[in-house]
This record gives sequence, C-alpha cells and structure tokens, in this order.
Amino acid sequence: MGEKKIRLKLTNLKKSYDTAKGKFQAVEQVDLEVYDNEFLVLLGPGHCGKTVLLNMIAGLEEQTEGEILLDGKAINGSDPRIGMVFQKTALMPWKTVMQNVEIGPKFRKVEKTPRRKKAQEYIDLVGLKGFEKSYPSELSGGMKQRVGIARAYTNDPEILLMDEPFGALDAQTRFVMEQEVSRIWEQEKRTIIFVTNNIEEACYLGDRIVLFSECPAKVKEIYVNDLPRPRDVISPEFLKLRTRISDNTDLAL
Amino acid sequence: MKKENTVVPNKIKASDVLYFVLPILSIALLIVCWEVASKNTAESFPTITATWERFLRLLDKPIMRVSYWGHILASLKRVCIALIVSWAIGISFGILIGWNKKMDAFFGTIFSFIRPIPPIAWIPLITIWFGIDEFPKILIVFIGAVMPVVINTHAGLSSVEDLYLNVGTAFNANKRQMLFEIAIPSALPSIFAGIRTSTSTAWMVVLAAEMLGAKSGVGFLVVRGMDGFDMPLVLVAMITIGIVGALLSIITNCIERGLCPWERKK
Repeated sequence: MGEKKIRLKLTNLKKSYDTAKGKFQAVEQVDLEVYDNEFLVLLGPGHCGKTVLLNMIAGLEEQTEGEILLDGKAINGSDPRIGMVFQKTALMPWKTVMQNVEIGPKFRKVEKTPRRKKAQEYIDLVGLKGFEKSYPSELSGGMKQRVGIARAYTNDPEILLMDEPFGALDAQTRFVMEQEVSRIWEQEKRTIIFVTNNIEEACYLGDRIVLFSECPAKVKEIYVNDLPRPRDVISPEFLKLRTRISDNTDLAL
Repeated sequence: MKKENTVVPNKIKASDVLYFVLPILSIALLIVCWEVASKNTAESFPTITATWERFLRLLDKPIMRVSYWGHILASLKRVCIALIVSWAIGISFGILIGWNKKMDAFFGTIFSFIRPIPPIAWIPLITIWFGIDEFPKILIVFIGAVMPVVINTHAGLSSVEDLYLNVGTAFNANKRQMLFEIAIPSALPSIFAGIRTSTSTAWMVVLAAEMLGAKSGVGFLVVRGMDGFDMPLVLVAMITIGIVGALLSIITNCIERGLCPWERKK
C-alpha cells in the first residue's frame, strides 16, 4: 500500500468535566492518527466518551488538554473541512429535505443555483430523489439519516464524522444503511471517522477499527481490516475478526 | 381530457355522524335550557325571541349613530391596531431578551413584576395621562396583548435545542444565520402560542376598556344595555363577543398553519 498520508492527528487528547461529584474523566489521553481517505471506526461500549471525542474534533466541545492537528496544523473551534452526521439526525423540522441538505453551502453564502445543484446531486446519491419538498416529519428513520448524510456531503468536507448514525434504526434498515454508506464512500472517497457500539457494523465498514475501553475512553487496541468490499458478514474471516474484537471488549453495564 | 376518477365514495361511518351531531346537540340543548330558564324571568333574563327581536331592531336602528356592524368594526379596529403593534414590539423584544443573556438579565426583573399587573389596572393612570380618546384604549389593549407575546417568544428563543445549535456550529453558521435560520424558526411554534393568547387577551381587554367610557364598540353596547336596563341588548352584545372571539381564534390558527407548514404535516 505504500506510505499513507496522515490527515488528522490527535495527540494526548483529554476531556474532563467538573460535576457535583467531582471531576469526571470522559476521554483519557487519546493518541490517534487518521489517514487520508480511510474509513476509521471508533468502537466502544455504551457511553464511553466516543461522542465527546467526536464533538471535540467537530469543534462542538473544547478539549481539556491535548491537540487536534489537521494536515499538521492545530484546529480551534469548528473547521469547515470537517463535516458531521449527527446521532439523532438533527434535521431541522421547519426545513424541507432540500433546505436541510443545502444548509452548508447556504451558510457559506453560495448562490442558490449552484448550491441547489450540488444538494440535488447528493439527494440523488442517497436515493431520495422525489422527496426534496418533503418535511422530515414525513420521512422514516432511515430516510431521515440519508438526509443527514446528504447534508454532510453537500458541504464538501474533507473529513466526515459520523456519530452512531444508525443507532436508532431497526436491524433491517440499519444493515441497508451500512451498505449505503459503504457504497457512497467507495463512490465519493472521503476520510470518514465513524463511531459505533456495534461490532458487526464496525467490521463491515471499517478499514481500521479503534477499540475503546469503558469510561474513561482510552484506546485499547487498533485492528486493521482489509477484507474486500462489499464484505460478507458470514464469511469465516469476517467472523474471526468479529470474535477477536468481541473477546477483547469491555462489557457495558 | 383525463377521465374522472370513479372511486367509490367512502362509506359514512357511524362515528363521523356522531362527531357531526354532538356539537349541534350541545347548541340545541343550550337553547332549550335558555328558553326554559327565561320563561318566568323575562325581565332580568330575556327569552331567545326577545333577544332575536332586539338584534333585528339593532340592525335597523343605530345606537349613538353607529350601526351594529359599526360597533363591531370599532372594537376590531382597536384590537387590530393594538395587536399589530404588540406583535411587532413583543416579538422583537422577546427575541432580544430570549437570545441575549445580558439583555435578559437587564430587562428580566423589571418585566417579571410589570407582567402580573392586569391591563385593566392601568386604566386610571392612562386615563389621567391621555384622556378617554382612542389612543388610551388602544394603549390598554396593547399592554394586555404584548405580555403573552414577549413571554412566549422569550421562552421559545431561550429553549432552542442544543442539537440544532450544534448543527449550526458544525456547518459554520455565523451569529446572524444562527438566529435567523435556526433559533427563530425553531421558536416559531411558541411565538405563535403567544400570538394566539395575545389575540384572545386583546379581545377581552378591548371590551373592558370600552365599558369604561367609550361611544362605540361592542363593550359600549354592553354598558348601554346595562344603563338602560335593556337586557336583550346586553345578551346580543355578549353573543356577538363570543362569535367574534371565536372567529378571531380561527383566523390566527389559519395564519399559523400557513406560516408553519411543517407543523401541519405531523
């Protein structure tokens, strides 16, 4: 594969909160390198601070200690090169599908025609052609998250963060969406950091899988997954990887 | 030409009939009760017939040279002017104190003890300051109508979900976009709750204001009836108040549905 280019580098990243019961450590010293165009999965049990880690990268929360370097430069606050797909879809109920998707370029004051064209491209890509004028309340859970994905892509981010995007979906829809994300990633290569607590999802999607320990979040082990895509979830190699990871996972209570 | 759709009309369900009949039944019952109750007390509680005749007479004979419709329009005019001004000022002020914490800290305290003073309590002061012209009446209605708008707008803007604000941050919205694209639309349902309350409050307050020194308006009709011991007139005015009030709330609901289309499709 040759030398891989490092896009994002987290060094000694820590996050703690002051609570009534004293200091709560959510993220404990995370050092991580993310390569260009890789699909990186952050896997960990329950509420172990993976979301906090992602929020820090997205600039929604400030780290207590450590640095986040994008292409070698520290980032402060939210960076337009980093996009996010939210856990609870976070679509604005007062905006139609089109208005939700075009939000990124609109905030950057891109003219209506080019931004609509771009938004339409991604609406088509996620398979929602014909739903441009629908409101989120008229869509199913899976469709809403497709809008969330289209919204993130339309803003043209170089790094895409996905925070348990399919956590609220039923098993069937979830699997379809995993296939979709994998397909879209192969079609539109980006660096993706995907958070999940589902081992199968992690093995299905990730080039590398970073396993976190239970609170505070700390990197336990990193697995490289070079099974060919689309992956067969019942092939012996897939199941072997899955078992290796699950044997090493802390139980969430 | 397209062929007409020949779908078999939906069968009328028993429950549909029931929900159509129930409101009619309640009105019929009210009329019967009214008739029975007023049979022996025609003097203090006029019958329906007497009230209806008074209504027809009112259509013919203006009071204080103002027709029945003129009186309604006089009240509505005061309400409308006061409402439009109170929405403009109330929503702006509510956004200001709901969005800006410093402004909230500055104005919040004053506002929270001016708020419980009923608009009617302002009447003596306002009468001394501005007399009994049109302006003081509109001002009193304004005071009553502006409070719920401010309170609801403030509540809506100070409780915008963090999730939506995070989306704004993640997509690099500037402060202006944060307010106009995210905070205000997400507060719209609660702003409209304020508008609805202000409309019904304004209608109540205008009648109270008209009962204290006016030469026109539906509130004036009530007082006129009371002074002349013309109970049928009082009843005509009361029913008018009820019907116009109900129409006003239907109109505000329609405006809300037009402006918040996403609410309708839930």
